[in-house]
Amino acid sequence: MARRLLSVTWVLIALVVGAGCAVNRATALLTPGSDLNQVKTFHVVTFPPDKRGIDKLIRDRLVAMGYSATLGPEKTAPYDADAVVTYFDKWMWDMAMYMLELTIVLRSPTDDFPLATGNSVHTSLARKSPEEMVQEVLTNIFKAPKQGS
Amino acid sequence: MRAARRTLQRLGLAVWLAGCSSAVTREGIVLRDFDAPRKPPQTVSVQVGGGRETEAGYLPQISNEVFTAALVESITTSRTFSRVIHGGRADYLLQVTLISLDQPAIGANFTVKMEAAWRLMRSDTGGVVWREAIKSSHTQTAGETFAGATRLRLATEGAARNNIREGLARIVRLDL
Repeated sequence: MARRLLSVTWVLIALVVGAGCAVNRATALLTPGSDLNQVKTFHVVTFPPDKRGIDKLIRDRLVAMGYSATLGPEKTAPYDADAVVTYFDKWMWDMAMYMLELTIVLRSPTDDFPLATGNSVHTSLARKSPEEMVQEVLTNIFKAPKQGS
Repeated sequence: MRAARRTLQRLGLAVWLAGCSSAVTREGIVLRDFDAPRKPPQTVSVQVGGGRETEAGYLPQISNEVFTAALVESITTSRTFSRVIHGGRADYLLQVTLISLDQPAIGANFTVKMEAAWRLMRSDTGGVVWREAIKSSHTQTAGETFAGATRLRLATEGAARNNIREGLARIVRLDL
């Protein structure tokens, strides 16, 4: 009886913490005046806490999309590339760890100014693999419409 | 009886830890303690992009409308520009794009990090006077706010408010 009550309690806690947070969202935009048509080479800056190799997934996806891409730690600008890629990922546990959210920002190689940003959130029941998340965010960034001047 | 008490304690812990939606407000973002040292005579119009609506049950987001209203009020009260012009031709166009919002979903102290791309242009020439990526953050502690949802909203509003503070501080240093 006591064990059952304990289980019910933990289920209720999980519901309060996690339920109602079911969200699927994928957005991207270019900053005003930015044009990615001229960007052919990228440098992916490794997010220091990233131990899952998301930097490599991003580089490999860019290469698969026909761009030239390198990766490495953050350096002092200017970078030897047309754009710098930064990112951060957020993970959650639900029976297993999964990527909850991924944000990727493309930046000017000279002053770090954001050229474009993309963000995807998929909660547990609609979870995607890290490869799919990277592909979704990058595809949306390159599809994003230009913003004014 | 003891089990019921434990259940309530754990539910309380969950409410304390969890940080689901509680809509971000203009009032929470507006900068009230910033006074521009110089009062320039130029006018400005404001464009904000990259914001998102808060979805039911998820983390609080900052909408374009809320950030615009907070930015306009902050500029007006601090007199960073002489006036904010809506829909007309001002001397300058200030474009702020919300780039990222890094929020914890669970925890005791919530630190929210935000980045926005700020760009100031002359309206007559279209020349870019200044552009910069501004990063800000704000921590709301469990001691300050008990409920996780409210704590996360306040941390998010604080990060946005600090971003406006930093952006306007950079603008007042420009030789306009």
